[in-house]
Amino acid sequence: MPEYLVKENALADFFRELTQDRRLLTPQGQGENCRLEETDPSKVSLEYTNTHKSPKECFFPQTEKLLAFSKEADKPHPNEYRDLGDKAVATVIFGLRPCDARGLCVADKVFQNDRFTDPYWKGKYEKTLKIGLACLNPSPQCFCAAMGGSPFGEAGLDVLAYPRDKGLGLKTLTEAGEALIKTTKAEPGDLKSEIADLEKKAIEAQGPIDHFVAINERKIMELYKAPHWPTTAEPCLGCGVCTFFCPTCHCFDIQDEANERGGIRMRNWDTCMSALFTQHGSGHNPRPSKTERIRQRFMHKLKYIPIKQDGVRGCTGCGRCVVMCPANIDIRSVAALMAQTQAS
Amino acid sequence: MNNPYLPYPVRIADIVVDSPDKSLRTFKFEFLDPEDENRFAYLPGQFAELSVPGQGEIPIGIASSPTEKGYVLFTVNRVGQVSSFLHNMKPGDIMGIRGPLGHPYPVDTLKGKNIVIIASGFAVTTLRATVVWLLHPDNRSNYGRITFVYGARSPGHLLFREDWEAWQKRDDIDVFVAIYKPVDGWTGKVGFVPAVLQEICPPAENTAAIICGPPIAIKTTQPVLFEAGYKPENIIMSLENRMKCGLGICGRCNVGPEYVCKDGPVFTLAQLNELPPEY
Repeated sequence: MPEYLVKENALADFFRELTQDRRLLTPQGQGENCRLEETDPSKVSLEYTNTHKSPKECFFPQTEKLLAFSKEADKPHPNEYRDLGDKAVATVIFGLRPCDARGLCVADKVFQNDRFTDPYWKGKYEKTLKIGLACLNPSPQCFCAAMGGSPFGEAGLDVLAYPRDKGLGLKTLTEAGEALIKTTKAEPGDLKSEIADLEKKAIEAQGPIDHFVAINERKIMELYKAPHWPTTAEPCLGCGVCTFFCPTCHCFDIQDEANERGGIRMRNWDTCMSALFTQHGSGHNPRPSKTERIRQRFMHKLKYIPIKQDGVRGCTGCGRCVVMCPANIDIRSVAALMAQTQAS
Repeated sequence: MNNPYLPYPVRIADIVVDSPDKSLRTFKFEFLDPEDENRFAYLPGQFAELSVPGQGEIPIGIASSPTEKGYVLFTVNRVGQVSSFLHNMKPGDIMGIRGPLGHPYPVDTLKGKNIVIIASGFAVTTLRATVVWLLHPDNRSNYGRITFVYGARSPGHLLFREDWEAWQKRDDIDVFVAIYKPVDGWTGKVGFVPAVLQEICPPAENTAAIICGPPIAIKTTQPVLFEAGYKPENIIMSLENRMKCGLGICGRCNVGPEYVCKDGPVFTLAQLNELPPEY
């Protein structure tokens, strides 16, 4: 797929052209206020590190209504659930960081798995074109390269952009992305060697990289039985903030909310850090203490998801859990311990 | 697009109280739209989410066999919010069922083999479905010798009495039903399931075992099978974990990389030996 240029003075027009028949979401605000918001094409910013929360909420909101039912006997179909449908609107997101786009890819393979398709996720996901913004200067929290990604990673994106002379360089990655850029006045240009050069520098800026490859070579039960888990879990408060901020965490609870006339069935984000998450009706709990729960979280990210997704990890190195954890649990340290596990 | 979260509307056709303490009830459901019965095409060993408006959903094994037309059966133990509410519902009430979910027992790959079916307590439900399915004239000739071992606390806790009493009279299945402690008037076997199995265990050659029961029963049954020469790949089990979606998405029922709902609930012991014991 080819590359394109957008000059500084053409940027506002470029964003206007992108949004002719779809809404535009871009990161707005700084620090903890940085979030994806519907944006006026003249107010797109390239000056942000990353959104505070991951972009998964665009497709998998923290709370989402799924079904509804009426209990009124004189109305049609009492006590029968009906689909509330999905109100997805055509959208283009500009400015996804490559780590987060990769996270969406991992979640997409769960929501659209080998047996079932989640219609609420799919409706929104497939109506959204995704333009990434590559990272020229990774922040101190970033470690995408260690997890197999790149500051110029392409997974999950239709177009990859990067800041260039106060304008943009663009590389289209899918047919939909190519078609979208063709609707704009972006000029064709050969940026291959420039992109390769910038990617190399951005990876080097992340410092010496340990890919923790030994984790891939160990068996599930070797990692599971490793002696470090109780000490790894010791500082954990079980707050679940790591899971809520994670771009690949996809767990949810389903609840009915009703009064005497009717109600809805909804889903809400849930967390494997909670004891109730796995507790059976009998009281039996397969993950009764935080040692099992912490082990589940890291095994899921670094072992279980790679087994199910052709080696792609469930951690994309966005660094949010490292920054947000009140107990300073760092997935890089845990990955290092897992990589030291001996073969049995 | 087909929405896998949307239950089929059903009517409660009948409710049978199955245990003296009333903790078990078997529900017979009929689909409001007869076409839904065809859409709900299932095999023994699969489960479904029983969906009670305003209360929520519970994953329950299907106790009927697809060879039984016009209805589906589920035996529900009263433990939590949904099951307690369900126990107080009445025939004629409308609710939902969503499924079928999970994989069935591997009835295809078991063709040509002898099968020993081992049930403890009310986990007998999907095994009752399996026996009904295997004994159906369309299927019986595809399998070798069939043995059914079933134990429960007391005669009152034995489910589906009419079924196994009828099977006892047949000559194409060996039926061994036991209670754990002797009771006046009980003339059948007495003892825990592993002990009964030890007495009558069919030879392992060309034979697969299907076990369903509480964890302690599964755990104590395995050594008996090992002793008789059964290999882990021929010991088939059905797991339970807390579930919500049933679709491999909501995340809570995993055993290692496998979701009990989507990838199970049926696993061989050989598979489980490679996985964390988180069930």
